[in-house]
Amino acid sequence: MTNLLTKTNQGMKKYTECTPYARRAIRVSFQIIFLLVLSTQLLVAGSLKKQSASETKISQSIVDITVKGKVTDNKGAGLPGVSVKQKGANKSTITDVQGNYVLTVSGENPVLVFSFIGFQSQEIAVENKTVINVVLVENASNLQEVVVIGYGTQKRADVTSAVASVKAKEFVKGPVLDAGQLLQGKVAGLTIGSPSGNPTDGTQILLRGNTTLFGANSSPLVLIDGVPGDLKTVAPEDIEAIDVLKDGSAAAIYGVRGSNGVIIITTKRANGNISNSVDYSGYASTQVISKKLDMLTAQDYRDQIAAGIRNASWDNGSSTDWLKETTRTPLTQVHNLTMRGGNNTTNYLVSANYRALEGIFRKSDNKTFTGKIDVNHNMFDNKLKFNFGLLNQTNNYTKVTGGGSFNGWIYRQSVIRNPTEPIYNSSGGFYEQTGNFDYENPLAYLEEGDGESKNVNSRLNATISYKPVRDLKLSALFSYSRFNGNDGYSETKEHISNIKNGLNGYASVGSRLSIDRLTEWTAEYSKTIKNHRVVALAGYGYQENVTTGMDASNQNFPTDIFGYNNLGLGEGIKNARATLGSYKSETNLISYFGRLNYSYKDKYLLLASLRREGASQLYGANHPYGNFWGLSGGWRITKENFMKNQELFDDIKLRLGYGITGSQPREQFLATQLLKYGEYVYSNGMWTKTIEPDQNQNPFIRWEEKHETNLGLDFSLLKGRISGNADLYNRQINRLLYRFQVPSTPPNVVDFTWANVGKMENKGLELMLNFVPVKSKKLVWNTSFNFSTNKNKLVSLSNQLYKTTSNHFETGWTGPPITTFTHSTTIGGKIGNFYGYKVIDIDNNGKWIYEGRDGQPVSYDNFAHSFEDKKVIGNGLPKWYGGWNNSFSYKNFDLNITMRGAFGYQILNFQRMYMENPAIQNFNTLKSAYTPVFGKAVLNVPALEYNSYYVEDGDFWKVDNITFGYNFNKFKSSYIKGARIYLSSLNTLTITKYKGLDPEVSRLGLDPGIDGRDKYPSTRSFTMGVNLNF
Amino acid sequence: MKKLKKNYLVITAFVSVLGITACDKLKDTHYDKIITNNFKPSKSDLPALIGAGYTQWRLILLDWNGLWRAQELSGDQIVIPKRPNGWFDDGVYQRIQKHTWTTDDDVVRQTWLRTYKGIANCNRIISDIETGRIEIAEGKEATLAELKVVRASYYAILCDFYGNVPIVTKFDVPLGFLPEQNSRLEVFNFIVKEITDNIPLLSSANDITTYGKFNKWAAYTLLAKMYLNAQVYTGTPRWAECIAACDAVINSGAGYKLESSQKNVFVTENQNSKEIIFALPLDEDYTNNWNAFDFHMQTLQPENQATYNLKMSPWGGMCAIPQFISSFDESDARYQNNWIKGQQYTSTGQMLYVGQGDFKDKPLNFINELPGIDKGESVHGLRLGKFEIKMGSTNVLSNDYPVFRYADILMMKAECLLRTGQPDAAAVIVTEVRQRNFTDPSKAVVTGAQLQQGSSYAYGLKDAVNNQFSTEGGADIQYGRFLDELAWEFNQEGHRRTDMIRFGAFTKKSWLSHAATNNPSRTIFPIPRTEIEKNNNLVQNPGY
Repeated sequence: MTNLLTKTNQGMKKYTECTPYARRAIRVSFQIIFLLVLSTQLLVAGSLKKQSASETKISQSIVDITVKGKVTDNKGAGLPGVSVKQKGANKSTITDVQGNYVLTVSGENPVLVFSFIGFQSQEIAVENKTVINVVLVENASNLQEVVVIGYGTQKRADVTSAVASVKAKEFVKGPVLDAGQLLQGKVAGLTIGSPSGNPTDGTQILLRGNTTLFGANSSPLVLIDGVPGDLKTVAPEDIEAIDVLKDGSAAAIYGVRGSNGVIIITTKRANGNISNSVDYSGYASTQVISKKLDMLTAQDYRDQIAAGIRNASWDNGSSTDWLKETTRTPLTQVHNLTMRGGNNTTNYLVSANYRALEGIFRKSDNKTFTGKIDVNHNMFDNKLKFNFGLLNQTNNYTKVTGGGSFNGWIYRQSVIRNPTEPIYNSSGGFYEQTGNFDYENPLAYLEEGDGESKNVNSRLNATISYKPVRDLKLSALFSYSRFNGNDGYSETKEHISNIKNGLNGYASVGSRLSIDRLTEWTAEYSKTIKNHRVVALAGYGYQENVTTGMDASNQNFPTDIFGYNNLGLGEGIKNARATLGSYKSETNLISYFGRLNYSYKDKYLLLASLRREGASQLYGANHPYGNFWGLSGGWRITKENFMKNQELFDDIKLRLGYGITGSQPREQFLATQLLKYGEYVYSNGMWTKTIEPDQNQNPFIRWEEKHETNLGLDFSLLKGRISGNADLYNRQINRLLYRFQVPSTPPNVVDFTWANVGKMENKGLELMLNFVPVKSKKLVWNTSFNFSTNKNKLVSLSNQLYKTTSNHFETGWTGPPITTFTHSTTIGGKIGNFYGYKVIDIDNNGKWIYEGRDGQPVSYDNFAHSFEDKKVIGNGLPKWYGGWNNSFSYKNFDLNITMRGAFGYQILNFQRMYMENPAIQNFNTLKSAYTPVFGKAVLNVPALEYNSYYVEDGDFWKVDNITFGYNFNKFKSSYIKGARIYLSSLNTLTITKYKGLDPEVSRLGLDPGIDGRDKYPSTRSFTMGVNLNF
Repeated sequence: MKKLKKNYLVITAFVSVLGITACDKLKDTHYDKIITNNFKPSKSDLPALIGAGYTQWRLILLDWNGLWRAQELSGDQIVIPKRPNGWFDDGVYQRIQKHTWTTDDDVVRQTWLRTYKGIANCNRIISDIETGRIEIAEGKEATLAELKVVRASYYAILCDFYGNVPIVTKFDVPLGFLPEQNSRLEVFNFIVKEITDNIPLLSSANDITTYGKFNKWAAYTLLAKMYLNAQVYTGTPRWAECIAACDAVINSGAGYKLESSQKNVFVTENQNSKEIIFALPLDEDYTNNWNAFDFHMQTLQPENQATYNLKMSPWGGMCAIPQFISSFDESDARYQNNWIKGQQYTSTGQMLYVGQGDFKDKPLNFINELPGIDKGESVHGLRLGKFEIKMGSTNVLSNDYPVFRYADILMMKAECLLRTGQPDAAAVIVTEVRQRNFTDPSKAVVTGAQLQQGSSYAYGLKDAVNNQFSTEGGADIQYGRFLDELAWEFNQEGHRRTDMIRFGAFTKKSWLSHAATNNPSRTIFPIPRTEIEKNNNLVQNPGY
């Protein structure tokens, strides 16, 4: 043992450069695990005896009966892949594609168990029958459904915390941006926004409100088959199910990354139960802008000039619909091919997925090809199992800006451009007005800027699990993920930035490489003794990331022909205008964890977990490690004796949980003071770069910690016709990380310090109700309602170092020419308050009348426009959300309708704030700029400003996804086994009083509810799709 | 039992393999950052470390919404009116001119933020040198003295701008330290003491080793400035001490003298000017942050890109207040050289036309007219041209910015003589400064009697947009003529607010769209609201 340890330590030194201290710690840590495993062995020894006894009994039996039959659903369709087992023996098979099976059983009084995911299991005694046909009933109550809870699964019935599970067939259909959109409107408390129509953008996920002030990670932890990843790296068609761990007691096993919830994605994997098959699915979609702004047209300009309200110099003689020029009718296509094969010992799944998304703007696209191989191999009577996964994803998209894909600026310019201007000038170049600020020909941007981003995501993962004895499972997971991105972008000499900034051709390239290594080792011991069932899990996890990258730009090229492919040719190096940069960072996360599940008679359920975790971001801090634990219990009331004789309820379960999760800072080295090379100084005849302080130190920096209590109720009655759940939660997030404003006076070198300040509270209620109002042979109607509320409050804001003397702080930014903050968060108050001047009326001259500090009206000229004049004029966070999902199936037709809404909140409409003032002459304005304000007088103030007139109610109800499908299930050909065609639309209809484009705006952070000027407009899409099964 | 043994083996192997991969060492490699405590500076790092004491100066003065803007846009010479292409923003330029700035306005905040950063830098370097973390073999005392004077210069800015500010000289204070506020008098006394204590240790050289640095003479100039404004800062005049400090520079023998033409001080390659005492070195290749030094971008019309073959299209906002321009003698070379006026041409001599607004397609001809701050068309107002605009400039000019120059020393001395009953001696110096600007020598001559007269500036509201007019004139300003001399000589140099306050004109006079506030509290800026909210030791200046 000693030798072995020494050897391992040497190995460690070589690869991970651990210090002797670390070695000691490792020794201690795996000694703990060793002891744990050892102690379980005592129990294992006991069980072994028992097992061998039963084996003996089986071997003594001699009678064999061969049974065959067909398993169908209630419509008579054969069910492939149904597990058929002899109870108490290890004889089993699965049904073929028609639902037929053959199984030879033996022993006394054999009983067959038919089980299939989504259906109620059935037990049938064989007696003397040789043909047993079974109709499986769909399991509406989902109690047998398997729920993924992290490092393992649980039956829905056993779950003691708030976990939502959405299966593939319930997903939103259509050209979804990423896997997140599949869940839109499906889970109470999980708000998924898709505020942008840009095909390279993703969804915004908010679970139970804001949990961070953005000092730490703000997005939920996404696990794809156990490996942390990005929603974009998984093809939506590859997903089998998505589970969402909502409360802290469930997420605590994921410790530090669990604060914003955990989204567990299970992809379709190889499975011995499914015979060889090929599935194809594909769809094509197109989109339209869901709403356009009502801007002045060229004719409106001319009418205004004729009426004398606009100077004739603004008529440039043409008529151009700028938005029409920059947009198109896009075509999106998605194809997915999945092949499965193999047998119980070795099986595989191979899939290829191609997504070619087009946006409504020209040169706005996103193409992704994902190839995936998943192989299982079982050895030694299924004791040793291997799973290998290989994923490779290539992604390309067009860039019309250096910094991203599509440039929102092009949209803004299409909107504000003078409609009387021509696209081209008389000499054939783009017509530009260089004298006007922030005013550039959008078509010049589209056509004179060009680039591409090429990204490759690859992942190798392997899981080895071994069951040395029946109740013990040892697993080791390894994963290596690699993201490699290469960007190139160039602007021709005709590009406006060259005309305006004298670049004379510009090009840039950049590359990024990010490598994640992960290993997780777990030992799971499960044991049932009489009425007691115990599952114990212990594990160790290590994750590291290395990110490197470089960027370079050059300008002043002799020719445009090379684009960004010959960067050295530019003259920018000579005149010091070229830029070069490179970076590297390395982080890791180390964790030890354990979990215990206990149930007594399936009636009393208990789950406890503990995770200890260290993060390199906290290097140099006083407490780099944190402990995160969770405890939850459940009581299945229907299992009590007094409920035995009732038939109304299938299940009632009460749950109570408490859990602590965390979030580490995003940035590294916040505990220490940093220096950087900064400005140049002229010293003794030479220009020298100075060494300047970069950051204030804060050794007190720690984990963010979320303490969450969850009280839940699950119920199902009338054999699943009515079911649902309710959850009440209270989240207290302590030690929130924030870019805390500190005095600019010494010793501070900058006026902010990253510190754990403040405490935030989220309280809310989530309800989910499922009904099956109609369930006949031909017609089935499933309907479900979800409802959630959330109250988000900032309880305090102070830390060891500083206390604010004011009770508020400002966030959000209007952007020029109005330069002020948009929101103020008051300590003890709600998050998301808009804070600005409150307009109560307009005078006869078209000047605002405000509500003054004392509540009395103040005229425009007497209003100081200072901070003290501002008031709370709205709140950007919805008070409640609702959803209503329906699915109908009639014979072979099916119809799904997803609806959702958000209520009780306001939106700051930037479009109106910047474009609804007739004083603006150098940009186009909304027609409504010339409509009398409050029906009294046309606005007549020279200054744009942020006031309550532009803050509107955002309440909306959206009919989002409508899908209408038809299933073909009788084929003459023996090759094709199933087919389905469908039509669907996304973002179909919005009912709202909001005057902007889409009331579904960003709700993240401390400045929710801003409808920005440069936002890629959201779209309405129409899709036609087909699924084929061979 | 055999099976059990096998299982032990498997488990042992499992745990051992885990041991190989397991690690609990948190990563601490900082590939592209410097952790201060791990940094051991070498001798070659010294200029980079000490130089950090100076870099804030140019950012404080010239960067967007910096000290220069606060000094000039609040005065009677320069304005940013609304233009056809914008420049209204959220009314901030209007508020600066009308003296209705709020405690949140960027132009009120930036000087505080940037200046204290400079002070923190100096404190840190001084502390590192004193504790030996930065080792200096020779000239340690001189380096410390220089850094203390740089720090005093930052406090001088704060003293003039906010008055009552906290004095912090230590770097090694507990985390979370909140400084106490000092009175303007305490700040003044601190600055004077720091300068006088350290002057003897400073270099008396005036060459490349001290260019852009505080040598003995730059320190005397700073001291003279403090004394010149002592009455405003402390209530007690210190005219004699000011004269003594000026005389130290005049008699230094370090080679300072007036350039034969004022223009020479402001050319692109002005680093060899004998008139410059303390300059902020600028270079389009090195000091190239956006807005580093871009008067030309802020003042020229976009069409003027062709005049100077500029790399970028200018933004066209800032111009002269017509009343001020009208106060010039048209034969004054400074009227000719400091302002861009009349018809504009391309570099090859083609006429330029207006691209936008009511004058679209009319000749681009800068006229000395401006309807008011709420409306300025492309042709309105003369443009700032004191700093030479090099052909082919980028958005950053390479002219070094003279913070202190010899003419300043002469005019400070003259002002003190005038104020201490020696008007004729003052007139001799003023005449000396004027001489280079007039071809007719008689026009250059000023008498003591003239200097005691009022100002010739036609003060009064001149706002045609809002139809607000008044006639005030400047006759009632004591030594108004001297204030005019300062206006003509030091326009566009970031002096104006301080000078107007010293002559009592800042709050009592109206110009363009600015109506006299008669509110003495406007002579200092408010402490930024955000700073008071972070440090409850700070008390807001009276009247805010």
